Amino acid sequence: MSVLAPIICDNGTGFSKVGFAGNSDPSFVFPTAIATRGPVQQPSRSGPAVPPRPGNLASKRGVEDLDFFIGDEALANAQTPGYGVYYPIRHGQIENWDYMERYWEQTIFKYLRAEPEDHYFLLTEPPLNPPENREQTAEIFFESFNIKGLYIAVQAVLALAASWSSNRVTDRTLTGTVIDSGDGVTHVIPCAEGYVIGSAIKHIPIAGRDISQFVLNLMRERGDMTTVPPEDQLKVAGKVKENYSYVCQDIVKEFRKYDQEPYKYFERYEGEHTVTGRKYSVDVGYERFLAPEIFFNPEIYSSDFLTPLPEVVDGVIQQTPIDVRRGLYKNIVLSGGSTMFQHFGQRLKRDLKQIVDRRLDASVTASGSHMRSSGVDVEVISHKRQRYAVWFGGSLLASLPEFYSFCHTKAQYDEVGPSICRRYQIFGSAT
Amino acid sequence: MSNTLRPYLAAVRSTLTAALTLEDFASQVVERHNKPEVEVRESKEVLLNSLTISRNENERVLVEPSINSIRLSIKIKQADEIERILCHKFTRFMMQRAESFLVLRRKPVQGYDISFLITNNHTDTMLKHKIVDFIIQFMEEVDKEISEMKLSLNARARVVAESYLGAFNS
Amino acid sequence: MILLESHNYIIQTTLAEKCIKPSSLDVQFVDFDGVRFHLSTPERKTSLLLSMNIRCWDELVKYGVDDVLKREYGALVKASPEPDYNISLEIDLEQVPPEGEEREAYLKSIALLKRNALAAPFEVAFKAQKQLESAGSGQGELMALHYRDEEVIYVQASPDRVTVIFSTTFREETDRIFGKVFLQEFVDARRLPTIQSAPQVLYTTREPPLEIRHVPGLVDSEDVGYVTFVLFPRHFANPAVAAATISHIQLFRDYLHYHIKCSKAYMHSRMRHRVSEFQKVLNRAKTEVAVIDRKTASGRTMTSR
Repeated sequence: MSVLAPIICDNGTGFSKVGFAGNSDPSFVFPTAIATRGPVQQPSRSGPAVPPRPGNLASKRGVEDLDFFIGDEALANAQTPGYGVYYPIRHGQIENWDYMERYWEQTIFKYLRAEPEDHYFLLTEPPLNPPENREQTAEIFFESFNIKGLYIAVQAVLALAASWSSNRVTDRTLTGTVIDSGDGVTHVIPCAEGYVIGSAIKHIPIAGRDISQFVLNLMRERGDMTTVPPEDQLKVAGKVKENYSYVCQDIVKEFRKYDQEPYKYFERYEGEHTVTGRKYSVDVGYERFLAPEIFFNPEIYSSDFLTPLPEVVDGVIQQTPIDVRRGLYKNIVLSGGSTMFQHFGQRLKRDLKQIVDRRLDASVTASGSHMRSSGVDVEVISHKRQRYAVWFGGSLLASLPEFYSFCHTKAQYDEVGPSICRRYQIFGSAT
Repeated sequence: MSNTLRPYLAAVRSTLTAALTLEDFASQVVERHNKPEVEVRESKEVLLNSLTISRNENERVLVEPSINSIRLSIKIKQADEIERILCHKFTRFMMQRAESFLVLRRKPVQGYDISFLITNNHTDTMLKHKIVDFIIQFMEEVDKEISEMKLSLNARARVVAESYLGAFNS
Repeated sequence: MILLESHNYIIQTTLAEKCIKPSSLDVQFVDFDGVRFHLSTPERKTSLLLSMNIRCWDELVKYGVDDVLKREYGALVKASPEPDYNISLEIDLEQVPPEGEEREAYLKSIALLKRNALAAPFEVAFKAQKQLESAGSGQGELMALHYRDEEVIYVQASPDRVTVIFSTTFREETDRIFGKVFLQEFVDARRLPTIQSAPQVLYTTREPPLEIRHVPGLVDSEDVGYVTFVLFPRHFANPAVAAATISHIQLFRDYLHYHIKCSKAYMHSRMRHRVSEFQKVLNRAKTEVAVIDRKTASGRTMTSR
């Protein structure tokens, strides 16, 4: 019997990426949102209301739990009276298992149209996910859906695997630093040989949402946003960020360039009001290069968090065991939509290299010029699949023939129980 | 039916209350060990006679007391195949979360569906009568829950069948 | 979502997207019952190739699937399908109807590829019934569709009805028991006055129904069940009703399994709720451990780090 392609499910805080192994893009990308009927309750309160009297069989009672929407349909139904929208994942971790189970149920049956009994699944989890969560996930997938086999991978490791598609990567290693920047938060995660070095992970409270907000602030200050209807402003800022922004190598020079030849560098964004259809257009100016600059000079946006990204990355690597640091500097991998700015990688590499070189010089001086370092390679890998890097990495690994031997199968689960999923074999490691 | 439930639960309650007289007791066999004697079963003299309370052939409780711990195992009513599988699922679901239930044993004693292990540590840190309350409430509700689940399964099946066959009309 | 839809969502959305913005593409995906699809742009960006692999293709060919697909898709069907697949459709994005309802209907018809392929034996049976009815006696050919590894659909026409038999197996104990409950309700549900006109449903375990008892190679085990649907002429009186019946009956197995899984999910959420309730009861037993503010001699608070 031909084996059907494994299903890759990357459920993030904001968006879920689902699809089949072997493809280069996920089949569906939709918000991790579920709209259910029922009173708006506190998300922390778990458990559905148990039907008070399960006696009324003739009516359509008893299947209320099938009345829900997920993804884009959930958001579209947010305004429908009686429905409330919930996000079952918070900060990368599943908070409400009831909603998540139903979310998966509809993902599989409505969108993917797959018979879960015939497929292997690859799921992702954030670093430092408690093993209990793995067990709960396994319980749902094996017991509710009877899936054939399951592999749960750490997102950062998949992002590393995704970088293998870049032609600048020669040795396929799972050692490296992952900079994962999505909508809500940016993580810097060091991985050694496929294992996450949990103690050194750092989070940066600057990500996609903040960049959009910053662009909006800039454009409002300049007075350009007056032509844009207020409800569209954030969307316009988001579009400007995605379509026109890039990372410059030197802010001062860039400002001068814009001032000398504004017509060459200023862009115009044309938009249309979603409801009335009225056209409007706005000038796009300095925010083109200032937007991603908040990673490198956070003080221009926030007053709470002031450490530039290259320094954070350096700090993270310095906290790891000394024998992996070279590998971590040499393989810095970008993942997530907010790392897609042009020249982002080059700038990060340059700034990081400066920090590293300065430290090497200092140690040379401290030793009285007796010791000389051979230098440290700093390399930042950007590649085409950056936006859905985690999903793509999963697709890549799940299409390897070895994938099936790394999975825990239904039979193994039945034998051992959910605790079997506490441990998974790392790809590429010796058996 | 429920007229036999009350004396049954009352018997379990009084037995359990009486049995929950536990004291700290170090192992006599291994130095510096302090293990629940009812599980270790190394020294016969600290084990008390075990006792079974049966409501009928399908429902019974086994109480195994010892000097520093007591083991209580419950056999839950299972009238048919559906109840059997639901009961199995439910008890397994609970035992999977035994960590947070403190007194729950991860595996049932053979011949029973679910077991609790209460040690002197538990009686020291928790109120004894409340532990008994918990066990009794569990016994009451587990039957109710299983029959409710069975009913809701039937109700669902009916709705599902109706909707499928109803669609042929259109 | 109670009923499953019969069109493939991925085909529909992907094609709609590509109509607006053609770009090169190469994706593989599946549908229920082990159907595999491959959607690609082998030559140029505006010419999409949709290939399908279906397990029981050889049987379908016997029952005239080619004619059905020719009728549905006309010139779209490629003469020689892509290797490793059974059928290929070539969709030229430049020939797609303009945006609006017409295009949606067109895309939806493509998304129904699997449904249309599987419809072939049913259509044959419906036609055969009409002939047998006028002849007054006889039996139609017993058509078997091995649509899954262990499960088969049998379709047979008789003078007054068409019988559709699904053989079902459940891989897991829980599924088997839940499935039994569900199937029993299917049998019983017809007693309700509102759905009197629905097809009659029969369900047996182990014992195969009379119609297929002579078929060799039937598995004799406790896990195997047979579900029989008896379709009366009113279920395929006119083409529209017949089409609806075909789409609906094809998805029977998936529908059943979907709902078994949903019930298990529902049981899980009930159990979660109940466990958290028990948890609360047990927590009441815990004695409050008073937090004493421990101070050092100099008056500073001791904190544990």
